[in-house]
Amino acid sequence: MPKFGGPGVKPYQPPGLWNEVSLDGNVRFVQDHGENLYRRSIYTYWKRSAPAPAFTIFDATTREKCTLRRGRTNTPLQALVTMNDVQYIEAARALAQRVLLAETDTDAQLKLAWRLATSRTPADSTIATLREAYQQELSVFQADPERAKALLSIGESPRDEAIDPAVHAAMTNVTSLILNLDATLTRG
Amino acid sequence: MHPILEFHRLQTRRQLFGNVSRPLGAAALAGLLGQTGGAFADSSAASPATNPNGGLPGLPHFAPKAKRVIYLFMCGGPSHIDTFDYHPEIREFHGQELPESVRQGQRITTMTSGQKSFPVVAPMFEFKRHGQHGTWVSEILPHTAGVVDDITIVKSLHTEAINHDPAITFINTGAQQPGKASMGAWLSYGLGSPNKNLPAYIVMISRGPGQKQALYSRLWGSGFLPSKHQGVALRAGSEPVLYLNDPNGIDRDMRRRMLDRINTLNEQTYEEFGDPETQTRTAQYEMAFRMQTSVPGLMDLSDETADTLALYGKDVEQPGSFARNCVIARRLAERGVPCIQLFHRGWDQHGALPKNITGQCQTIDHATAGLIKDLKQRGMFDDTLIVWGGEFGRTIYSQGSLTKDDHGRDHHGRCFTMWLAGAGIKRGFEYGATDIHSYNILENPVHIRDFNATILSQLGIDHNRLTYLYQGLDQKLTGAEPSRVITEILT
Repeated sequence: MPKFGGPGVKPYQPPGLWNEVSLDGNVRFVQDHGENLYRRSIYTYWKRSAPAPAFTIFDATTREKCTLRRGRTNTPLQALVTMNDVQYIEAARALAQRVLLAETDTDAQLKLAWRLATSRTPADSTIATLREAYQQELSVFQADPERAKALLSIGESPRDEAIDPAVHAAMTNVTSLILNLDATLTRG
Repeated sequence: MHPILEFHRLQTRRQLFGNVSRPLGAAALAGLLGQTGGAFADSSAASPATNPNGGLPGLPHFAPKAKRVIYLFMCGGPSHIDTFDYHPEIREFHGQELPESVRQGQRITTMTSGQKSFPVVAPMFEFKRHGQHGTWVSEILPHTAGVVDDITIVKSLHTEAINHDPAITFINTGAQQPGKASMGAWLSYGLGSPNKNLPAYIVMISRGPGQKQALYSRLWGSGFLPSKHQGVALRAGSEPVLYLNDPNGIDRDMRRRMLDRINTLNEQTYEEFGDPETQTRTAQYEMAFRMQTSVPGLMDLSDETADTLALYGKDVEQPGSFARNCVIARRLAERGVPCIQLFHRGWDQHGALPKNITGQCQTIDHATAGLIKDLKQRGMFDDTLIVWGGEFGRTIYSQGSLTKDDHGRDHHGRCFTMWLAGAGIKRGFEYGATDIHSYNILENPVHIRDFNATILSQLGIDHNRLTYLYQGLDQKLTGAEPSRVITEILT
């Protein structure tokens, strides 16, 4: 979202986190919708007793004291967030849609996705790995359209229904892969 | 520095340290990069050998009695007066004003500081002597009374804090101000874990019927320590760890194929840049994949016998209950997880204490005793430390009006009761004594710092030597004030 300022927003988070800790368990998290789901994380609502879990998992400072240096960590829980959190799956779906609409040739689509994520040009061997992934998962989703629909229905933003669901799901799988690479996460 | 120049300098360092033995290389690298925190701040560490469990070199400092701790934390401040700290003489004073000679101008919370009257309330429960040493236990803890010969009850805990947030933060992180690392995070940092499929510090939350105060995820947070040491909360329901489940449409086979390709591409990145963190990331993705299998297996109690489950009481059928969490705690202990902490909410009995504390005790009593019995029958009681207690105790005087069968109690930090059991802890023992109003400590005071130092010592840690340089101070769980291990309660 190119918008500046405004009140805090409440994007996706797993259910129950607030009432697990709140006074007498009565405070419930009510998720926002629409553009509030896609703002920069600086706008994410900060609840001191239960900050957004992806923040905690990614070493967000606790805000009680000044922080001179941020820790550099690398944990399995972080992997679970970037592989499975709705926010990241939806981002992968949106990235897939963007490259599918921008290019017609599969290799060009994969190359664009890689460049957008890592700011670098992929090696031929990289493209070969991605192409293999795309083609293999495409056949899986073509054989089982319900799985494609299930993956594509994650996240609230609408998708371009003109894109073949199996193609979109297979490319989402590849863009999710790209978004989980060390090359993207720490070097992108 | 220009980024390209910096890159080349780092490359040179990597090549240099890639060729020397790893601990030395790591130490030298840390020194060059100015990373003086953690392991390398501790010049007294015995040897630079690596720690097979992924903890600090040189830890444990000495042979540990306990391989793990199961900490049953009772959030809200359970009344010591109505559970363990019994003086039969108090019944003579029931209904009388609390004498100034007892209170001695003691600061009390604003919830009762405006009261005109402070009537003393003797417990509205019967107490009986149990076990070989005739230990007083309230009738509301019948199962705990049955294992009293296995535990050490410390009646002389004290804390400066009188409100929940500072008190619970104090006992869990060693400071009343937020921002420090929790005890479990310290243990993960210092000791690591022999289990590579589960986090080193696992937390479970449950609730009783009593009044619940807010909890804070920082109580199991890593504070200034790296986030991999933060406690991971296991939750009841279909997703026991946050983000554990694969998204709809992606099955295990597809995830496996994705991870294989991530590994291939990360390997290319590693060959190009030579940063060992790239390989760490690959390893952590593999652990995440294994957790997706190991955690559901952990939570599935279908391989427990009916006899075993019966030890914990009928609540064990209820996912998310304290009893269920106790069984899972034992399963985690079997799997080698070194720090398991249960937070049980609802001990804040400002009013309707007789009814509410009875309900609270019903939710924990059977399972707590069951956990001890289960650990004993598996031969794990001798190397598992079990800790029970909350952030403070409660006042002898009534909060609100005292009636024939009802009253409340306010927070009380000047003395309260906790108990320990298992690894290296005396059995059937009591330590510390309070006056007959259970208001002031008469002998053997134990500050919560001393208590925490004692827990660390059972795990083989000298609390003065487990430090982390942060904000110019060698931080430690027990803080800067002097503290001591309570050797009197150890075998």
